[in-house]
Amino acid sequence: MPRESRGGSPCHGAGTDRSADMPKINIDNEAIECRPGVPVLQAALEAGRDVPHYCYHPGLSIVASCRLCLMEMQLPHPKTGEMDWAPKLFPSCQTPVKDGMVVRFDSEKVRENQRECMEYFLLNHPLDCPVCDQAGECHLQDYSFKFGHSESRMVDQKLKNPKKDIGPRTLLYQDRCVMCSRCVRFADEVSGTHELCIVNRGSRAEIDVFPGLPLDNALQGNVVDICPVGSLLDKDFLFKQRVWFLKATESICPGCSTGCAIRVDHHREVVQRLKPRYNPGVNDWWMCDEGRFGFKYVHDPRRIGRPILRRGGEVERPNWDDIPEIVTYRFEQAVERHGVDKVAAVLSPMMACEEAWLLAKFIRSVAAEATLVNGFVPVDGDDQLFPAGCATDEAKFTIRREKCPNRRGVEMIVSALGGNACAFDEFVERAGKGDFAAVWIVGGYPKPWVPKAMEKAVGEFRFSVVQDMFPNALTEVASLVLPTCAWVEREGCFVNHAGRIQPFERAIEPREGAKRDGQYLFDIAGHSGLYTGERVREMMAAEIPAFAEIAEAPAVPVHQH
Amino acid sequence: MIRDEDILNVDEPELTASERLYFPILVGMRTTFRHIFKKKITVQYPEVQRTLRVENYRGVHRLNRDADGRVACVACFMCETACPAHCIHIVAGESPWEDREKYPAQFDIDELRCIYCGMCEEACPVDAIELTPEYDLVGRTREEMIFDKEKLLEVFDRTNGVKPRKNPKITGYVATGRRNGSEPPRPGAATS
Repeated sequence: MPRESRGGSPCHGAGTDRSADMPKINIDNEAIECRPGVPVLQAALEAGRDVPHYCYHPGLSIVASCRLCLMEMQLPHPKTGEMDWAPKLFPSCQTPVKDGMVVRFDSEKVRENQRECMEYFLLNHPLDCPVCDQAGECHLQDYSFKFGHSESRMVDQKLKNPKKDIGPRTLLYQDRCVMCSRCVRFADEVSGTHELCIVNRGSRAEIDVFPGLPLDNALQGNVVDICPVGSLLDKDFLFKQRVWFLKATESICPGCSTGCAIRVDHHREVVQRLKPRYNPGVNDWWMCDEGRFGFKYVHDPRRIGRPILRRGGEVERPNWDDIPEIVTYRFEQAVERHGVDKVAAVLSPMMACEEAWLLAKFIRSVAAEATLVNGFVPVDGDDQLFPAGCATDEAKFTIRREKCPNRRGVEMIVSALGGNACAFDEFVERAGKGDFAAVWIVGGYPKPWVPKAMEKAVGEFRFSVVQDMFPNALTEVASLVLPTCAWVEREGCFVNHAGRIQPFERAIEPREGAKRDGQYLFDIAGHSGLYTGERVREMMAAEIPAFAEIAEAPAVPVHQH
Repeated sequence: MIRDEDILNVDEPELTASERLYFPILVGMRTTFRHIFKKKITVQYPEVQRTLRVENYRGVHRLNRDADGRVACVACFMCETACPAHCIHIVAGESPWEDREKYPAQFDIDELRCIYCGMCEEACPVDAIELTPEYDLVGRTREEMIFDKEKLLEVFDRTNGVKPRKNPKITGYVATGRRNGSEPPRPGAATS
């Protein structure tokens, strides 16, 4: 199958310079200005038209195999040289825009092609929408309704093809497949692992893996996203919930410092799945499996749910309303007894910038010479570049070694506030020597994180507030333990490895008894009312101008998929 | 605040001479006495039970079994989607049978929350959920009234003989009068 590269930038909204050389084309008698070099299909989608397509994906090469996006185009007549509608249809995904081009989708010829293509796709497609997980977000359903027939003329037995287990996380229902080959191209071009292929020909063609080589790469979950029908399904989400019940919230993945834009799909306060959002230059259309399936700790029953206060040998369960007073009083006492420089706050790179800023401001308000510490940065192996084995500048996707979303954000805040600051290792060392009497340590990591040296140093603290998600050596002895919410329960912004300030929204409510980190830090810092990321960001931007502008992922054309 | 101009004082009308003599009561009594001699339509429930039009009575739900005695439901969630009272809760699972993809691992209907509208029955693509003529639905606790899969299958075993009629024609109503100058609908046609 010949594969053509698309030419020009594939990213929607990437070419923002509205220069004079924007080609103007005419689609259905309407003049449309488009980005140079994009296919007509992309231009039509961006102009808001619903042109059916399966094989075209802006992040993959173009094969023009589904034949659903065919259009009519005006070409010079070979004899007279006059512009006239060419007798044959052209694939709009494979035809780049050219200034002055005249095309149409709104014609009987085009509609007839769409109807016939749809009939062909549905020849062997089983009528199992009620048990298919894709139902509700299936483009076979949508296009069949919009562009297809209402009934099948197929009189023969439909070909039946049992489902195939093609990898540890993915199932292939071959009889639902429309052979768009998006998944095959993804494995070839983006993950670069080449696990998938097409075997056999004609109506017997099917997607398959090579014997003994399952689809098992770090990006394989994306093939489920790009499958326009219910052929490739996620075992993790299989049969969990019907998609029309899910509520979507725009978020940022906290798995590593790449900061992929994601969508949190949740139902009744339970996160059901994560999906990538288009974010050019960061994650484009993709996300890794580590992030995609890494949210399970959110619903871990071992999570700390309520504040714990230790006074002498007694353990109390304080009210949230009393926390600001307790914290302020105890810190002021510590300053009085041990001196202003004996106070430290460890800001975790799992915190949102807003939360880190509120905490830093609070600590500096009780002890002006308090030390701000850039928290523990979890690191795992090396950056993983995709396509597998490519050079850094050619990478289409990177899973970063830094397994926290906001190291840069915390560093920005610590350096902007000035004063005493130190790195985490230095803090642990000094804490072991008894340099700090009162500390506020923030964790919030999904995995165990407390270093050995830190475990030894905890005895040196006179008063410690530990804000963490799971019980560990610190929360066992801390004077006050505050539960940290998972990122889906919080809101704010993360600064990714490249310094992009990306906001995320909260998807679900914190578990019973817990309170949103932002909210209690907001209360402790002496503000009143409701914490919202935007509100704190405004206050923060007044002091740190870098936070005045945030980067949000651009909107994708409604009918693009 | 209620403003004075918003208050409207209404005086009782003066009683007429016949009203002062309680004559209108006699008019009411006439209706009462007429009914004493009619055929009684009330029954001594629960000793006596009414005969129902079983084919379209909407009582407690049942989950049907297929020919092999397995639950017929394929866990497509259509009933849960159609339910206006949000009383159906399904947990789907991979079916233990070769020929079926999906089945309800859990299927709960909150019979107290249900409004017995029959939308679930209409939405079901495999006719697995049906409303039976059973109406004497009692329980001691709220939990008892949340019917799970086993309980709903039991209802099926109990009411197996009754087959609800699909899309029953509405009979016995004759539309009279014209609306907006259109022809009156034919008797027996589905009323809109």
